[in-house]
Amino acid sequence: MSELSIEFAGARYRFAGLNPAQDGLVRARFRALLCRDDAKPDVRIDIHFDPNSPAFMRRPSGPVEYPLAVVPGDESIAVAGAGFTANIDRSPFRAQMQTCLSDDWFVAAFENLFRIIACHRLFNEGALVMHSAAFTDGARGFLFCGRSGAGKTTLCGLADALDLEILSDELNAIRPRGGSFELLAMPFAGDFGGEPRRHPPYPLTGLLGLRQGGETSLSVCSKAEAVSRIVASCPYLNADPQLVDELASRVERLVQRHELRILAFTKDTRFWKVLDNEYRERATAVSR
Amino acid sequence: MSTESEPPRYRVEPHARFRVMGDEGVFVLQEAGEVLVVNAVGAFIVEQLQAERSVEEIVIAVTDRYAVDQDRAQADARSLLDALLGAGAIRQA
Repeated sequence: MSELSIEFAGARYRFAGLNPAQDGLVRARFRALLCRDDAKPDVRIDIHFDPNSPAFMRRPSGPVEYPLAVVPGDESIAVAGAGFTANIDRSPFRAQMQTCLSDDWFVAAFENLFRIIACHRLFNEGALVMHSAAFTDGARGFLFCGRSGAGKTTLCGLADALDLEILSDELNAIRPRGGSFELLAMPFAGDFGGEPRRHPPYPLTGLLGLRQGGETSLSVCSKAEAVSRIVASCPYLNADPQLVDELASRVERLVQRHELRILAFTKDTRFWKVLDNEYRERATAVSR
Repeated sequence: MSTESEPPRYRVEPHARFRVMGDEGVFVLQEAGEVLVVNAVGAFIVEQLQAERSVEEIVIAVTDRYAVDQDRAQADARSLLDALLGAGAIRQA
């Protein structure tokens, strides 16, 4: 059995108990984020391989949406998916995974669990993790929150055509830093993007919601709509009775300090001219 | 013993967190991970629900506050309550 450590957004996650096949799969997937095991991890995840247990949810046959159940409890969060179950302890924050998988399905199960663990870990550290697309022009970070179907992957495709650097089209985090916020890439991508890469934090310049169709434009929305859009975009946490009040309060504080704007866009690259001009002007106005 | 039935009362579901923001209100439906926004009148009505007022009392409060006639206030309140019931944000007490 082996261990490996993965680091991103300032936290180290150590996975222990991997068999050789599982270890190889995870190392191949998260190659760029592997780090040395010599430092104490921030989160430890123990993996128990049990190839013959009949207790696991069976793999679905055919191309179906990957089923996942997440049940928040008082002291831990129970997770179950095809071929695995897991518990995430709230305090001390750590996790245990039981699985019968050690092929490509293991990577999917591993990522699904890692995603939930990372959302909670970052939230515990003051960050917000959102279903979102995010990209940078190298100096400014733009985050577009929205659930599935909002246009995140479409927008990432258009941004990629402009050589803007995509952080993720699925999950990104923002964290307070000094008097502003920084945008953190998460190593989980949806339909767009491949192997996770290391990214530095970027200053959060644009915090946006998406609306597809109509003239390409930016508009404002009420604080209540902003809170609604962002809370609805925060997976797992917005369904956790122990965390949902803190989540809503944190989002309320965010939108008091950083306006959420709505980007209406069509399937062309005009959106970037609108964003670039708008946020350059705003940055100039703020710095005066 | 009174033969009159009690006017209906509604309560915010325990899993639904409500907060007023500016002129509007936000419901976080924790069990579903859904969020609803209600306008200023809607936020006022939900605050009345939280104060355990009946629908009749709420209609009177709305007519007083927003200077609308009773029929209009009743229709608006009924429409909002039906929508919130459908969304699982409130339940009949």
